[in-house]
Amino acid sequence: METTNKSKRLGDKSAKLNESVNLNVNLNVNEILFELKQVNQQFGRLQALADLDLQIRAGERVALVGSSGAGKSTLIRLLNGTLRPTGGEVWALGRCLSRLSPRQLRQAQQHIGTIYQQFHLVDSLAVIHNVNAGHLSHWSFAKALFSLIYPLEIETAATALRRVGIPEKLYERTDRLSGGQQQRVALARVLVQNPLVILADEPVSSLDPERSREIMALLRDLVTETGKTLVVSLHSIDLALHYCNRVIGLREGRMQFDAPADAVTKAMIEALYRL
Amino acid sequence: MDNKPLQTVPRPAWLHQRLRWALIALIAIAVSLCAVGLQPAIFNWNGLGQLWRFLAASGQPDLSAEFLAVVLRAALTTLAYAVCSTCLSLLIGAVGGLLASEVWWLAVLPHQNLHRSISSTIRMILAIPRAIHELIWGLFFVNILGLDPLVAILAIAIPYGAIVAKVFSELLDETPRQPLFALLNSGVPAANAFIYSLIPQAFLNFVSYAFYRFECSIRSAAVLGIIGAGGLGYEILLSLQSLRYHQLWTLFLALFVLNGAVDWGSAWLRHRLGSPTRLDLNLRRPTRSRKQSKPGDPLVLGAGIGLLALIPFSFWYVAADWTKLWSPRTATLLAEVGQAIWPPRLETLPQLGPLLLQTLAMSILAIAIAGMGGVLLAFPAARNFWSPNGLLAGHTTSGLGRIWAWTRLLLTRAFLLMARAIPAPIWALVALFVLFPGILPGAVALGIHNLGILGRLMAEVVEDLDPRPVVALKAQGVTAPLLFLYGVLPLTLTRFLAYILYRWEVCTRETVIVGLVGAGGLGRLLTEQLSSFDYQNLLVTLAGFVVLTFVVDWISGTARRALR
Repeated sequence: METTNKSKRLGDKSAKLNESVNLNVNLNVNEILFELKQVNQQFGRLQALADLDLQIRAGERVALVGSSGAGKSTLIRLLNGTLRPTGGEVWALGRCLSRLSPRQLRQAQQHIGTIYQQFHLVDSLAVIHNVNAGHLSHWSFAKALFSLIYPLEIETAATALRRVGIPEKLYERTDRLSGGQQQRVALARVLVQNPLVILADEPVSSLDPERSREIMALLRDLVTETGKTLVVSLHSIDLALHYCNRVIGLREGRMQFDAPADAVTKAMIEALYRL
Repeated sequence: MDNKPLQTVPRPAWLHQRLRWALIALIAIAVSLCAVGLQPAIFNWNGLGQLWRFLAASGQPDLSAEFLAVVLRAALTTLAYAVCSTCLSLLIGAVGGLLASEVWWLAVLPHQNLHRSISSTIRMILAIPRAIHELIWGLFFVNILGLDPLVAILAIAIPYGAIVAKVFSELLDETPRQPLFALLNSGVPAANAFIYSLIPQAFLNFVSYAFYRFECSIRSAAVLGIIGAGGLGYEILLSLQSLRYHQLWTLFLALFVLNGAVDWGSAWLRHRLGSPTRLDLNLRRPTRSRKQSKPGDPLVLGAGIGLLALIPFSFWYVAADWTKLWSPRTATLLAEVGQAIWPPRLETLPQLGPLLLQTLAMSILAIAIAGMGGVLLAFPAARNFWSPNGLLAGHTTSGLGRIWAWTRLLLTRAFLLMARAIPAPIWALVALFVLFPGILPGAVALGIHNLGILGRLMAEVVEDLDPRPVVALKAQGVTAPLLFLYGVLPLTLTRFLAYILYRWEVCTRETVIVGLVGAGGLGRLLTEQLSSFDYQNLLVTLAGFVVLTFVVDWISGTARRALR
């Protein structure tokens, strides 16, 4: 089965623009989206990741679990190309990220959306601008500048906000929103960016349990509806098992296990968190 | 996605509050520019040769041993003035700050509900010495005390004392009060309770602010040299008037080194002590937890001892005649002034209106120059921006790119330091080479000087920037210009504007000092009246000026609140 022409499904301007920069991304379900080959990551003396081999295929929902400092965030940063491995290769969308020119890297990154624990939004801007930031990889400077004064592409932003459940916040200042609402804004930004894969770095760690479930459900639905791929690092095993179909356990920078969600046992989890 | 009819939120008014302020600012700048255009002639092309000779001399400063000795003595004088006046102003500020704080009166008069009215009255009284520039104080004290180092020290210490008092009182009022009231409620006298709670709590903020004041008083001490108080400012004026440009550049270099050393040393010490940045102090942000130095850090200890030793040295070096403060002659002269000042004469009133508007226009143009230049230069001057591993840097930086990045950083910083190290009146004299007296040379001079100050403050804002939104946009493949537009500018611009507005108040006060050298505005009238002992008219002019600064303070405060 093919997820053929992305533009048919997306049907909006951004997809056409994406094609016009000739990205050449034709992915099949089950095609390899990410591949890590013997990846090592060293921060000074700290070995954050060691000898990691990993494949992530299109359409998967992968949870990264493990205690703090196990290398989950580092892995996410390697996958979205903001970090270069000190050893080994990271392949994304059929390209080796560390061999790309800055321009090629940016083109690849357009297809990778990231969500963060601290939301990483610009607090002092209205929600509309933070959502519109999803367009920035293909907007011209003039358009982006004009939009800051007179917001453009309201329809797209409003649709995205409606999808994440806060349509009324369109013109609100971002720092007036609650944590859960801010994470929804970050989700709307990713929706507007319309990537092939969504990476989420502990997206619910600063939210209460009820808000966490809402956001995770939203994430899962968004991903399954549009056939995207999800890689999410989580503190909570329950959330991982409930919302993902593959779980990767990391411990001190090494892969402890990599299993389908329904094959993860209590013993595996206890081994992962054992002191 | 579904096809239900979209219920979009109505678009907010196009002309929202921020945009309205932007329009007001643009109109104000345009009107001020028109005021410049009213002058019959603006540019004096005949002065180009002079300007060129002045600039050409920068290549060969006068480094003869005998002149260097002069420069060293002058630099020491300026430094000593700054140390003495900072000490005095901190003393005034500590007492005044306590008396102007709400919490002190709340502690002393617990049940009378008077604390707010008393403290705001004292704050209001303090606003008057603050509104009058050091130079006016200096000229006034010259009339009373004659040419004595005391003049320079008092002229800085009085307005600075009032400023320090205001800031200290605000710091005291913003410090959490629970520990204080815990002590007070258990019967501890107010003074003892203060030194065991609020004062130690706020101490690091006080220290940080004191260093910042010291940086400012170095610049003020140089300016005061111009009215004859000695030091680098005085030597610069002498060399400039006798057209010895080679000497001038030596003196500029001395100012550059002195200011650079003080700015750097103060920043280093504040950093070492873990005290809040100026940003936190000025913008009243809660201090973030910073790395505190270990007690007994030998470097800090050494610096502290050195600083303490500098104080008696400075008082000895300036050799001020303190007896003049209580001599009968001073008392007589003061009494005479008191008699001469009343009743105020209103004959200059018709002249006053246009001059006030001119002064306002000058301050607006000056802050426009300083603000725009500051915003442009803040980014290349910030350590975390274009430099390798900076916010906008990519993964790979070649060796050459690295060198270029550091050169750009150092050059920008050197330019900013030069701009603020040289006093505004000196910049005005330089501007007068090619500009006829009027609003423009004053605005250019103040603009350049304040650009140096604003650029540094703004670079600190950039260095303090929250990197997370930028990281997020970068991960999404956004190019550098758009990264700047959506990730950097929105986060920095509000703070930049707050600083610009705050500095505009200072600029308005400083218009006096460029007026002194003939650059126009109210300053010229003030200095004429002061030097001709025309106190009756002076009182009216001064009142007009104080009202103008209050109006500017009010506009600036309102705008800052609206932009927050």
